[in-house]
Amino acid sequence: MPSLFDKIGAELRRGLIQIAALSLLRDRLYGYQLVRILADAGLETEEGTLYPLLRRLEKQGLLQSEWDTGGARPRKYYRLSDHGVEALPRLEQTWREIASSVTTILEQEPVSTDEEGA
Amino acid sequence: MSQHDVKVQRWLDEADAAMSGDSESRRDVLMELQSAIMDRVDERTDKGAKPDEALDTVLQDMGDPGEIGSSFLPAPILIGSHQTRPFMINTALLFAAHFVLVIGATVAGKSMGPGDLSVSPVANPSLISMFTRALTTLLFDAGLMLGLFALTPRLARTFRLPRLALAVRPDRRRCFEGAAFVALVLIAVNFLRHDLLALYIPTTDGARQVPIVGTGIQHNLLFLNVWLILVVARDLLYGQLGEKRWTLWFDLVTCATGLFALLRVMAADSLIDLSGAQEALGPSADGIGAVLNQVFYLITFVGAALLATRVMRRTVRLASFAN
Repeated sequence: MPSLFDKIGAELRRGLIQIAALSLLRDRLYGYQLVRILADAGLETEEGTLYPLLRRLEKQGLLQSEWDTGGARPRKYYRLSDHGVEALPRLEQTWREIASSVTTILEQEPVSTDEEGA
Repeated sequence: MSQHDVKVQRWLDEADAAMSGDSESRRDVLMELQSAIMDRVDERTDKGAKPDEALDTVLQDMGDPGEIGSSFLPAPILIGSHQTRPFMINTALLFAAHFVLVIGATVAGKSMGPGDLSVSPVANPSLISMFTRALTTLLFDAGLMLGLFALTPRLARTFRLPRLALAVRPDRRRCFEGAAFVALVLIAVNFLRHDLLALYIPTTDGARQVPIVGTGIQHNLLFLNVWLILVVARDLLYGQLGEKRWTLWFDLVTCATGLFALLRVMAADSLIDLSGAQEALGPSADGIGAVLNQVFYLITFVGAALLATRVMRRTVRLASFAN
């Protein structure tokens, strides 16, 4: 039974995976490769989260995919589309701003209720 | 197919059952999932695990195939997982009450119940007739309950235990195809029997005509029920066989023929004017009509059998899940 902490942690990671995946997909990767790279980077993700996300990003035009049937088994490779290449720097900038804002908030001293009331 | 492949295929079939969308999208998702499973298995076997153990672990780690499938292409389900049990209980209760009435009517030798909802006695109460009546009664009740649950989900009391859904998918495309298929069968039967708006039921003393439109709630519900069952049967059939090239052609021919038949109906002077419909629909051929009647009934019973099989399979799995 996952704890509340685990759940909130999973939700946080889920939100971050989108930009992490887009950034990694500047290279051509297939789904499981991406799962492994993300896991090695500390972003464990499940198939039920990552693969639908990849499809959604593809539908939104940020990714493109192709099946490679030449290997031992068919694999679907993803990479950034032209639109994705254009969008990524802006998304990275947005992420940095958010990360900076959140870091600032986290590092703030808690506001005293006495001061608030005064 | 090895035991290994069977396990993977079963897992993929379950994921497929929870997905909506066209066959190409689903095939694409399933291929990707299969590839991911095999990659995970390879990784484990490279580390020294036995292939069977590796597969079992991977499938367990992957999680519930229904949940994975629905996360890709969520399918609106008619009977949700939390409704499976109340659906079965309500259907069983309705069937019990219904069949008690049938037995009462048969013993009394006259119809029982109010107006359109009256239950007629079994004409020839042999074991086979009673069994057939029980089956059609169950078919009717299951279809009625499916309709009720689909239209009014709040009627269903929620139970926590069952996680598995019946996964009856009212996919819009499939529903249209199902409707077209039913229309085709009905039109085909009635095309050959001169009467557009009636269904012919074979009896021991010849065919009995049962009007479908505008003559009572029972007949309209029966029509709805048969349609629902056919949609389910078709879904099951495709689920078992997988969509292949021939099923695509079957869909196209079914839709085109159903549309053509409906256009012919519209070309009649009036839907209610049977003489106009007769002229529009052409000559009679009683012999073939009778055969088509049997085919129609066979389809209905196959539908019922498939639905019963699905419910039984789900029940067994629910029981094993509960244990």
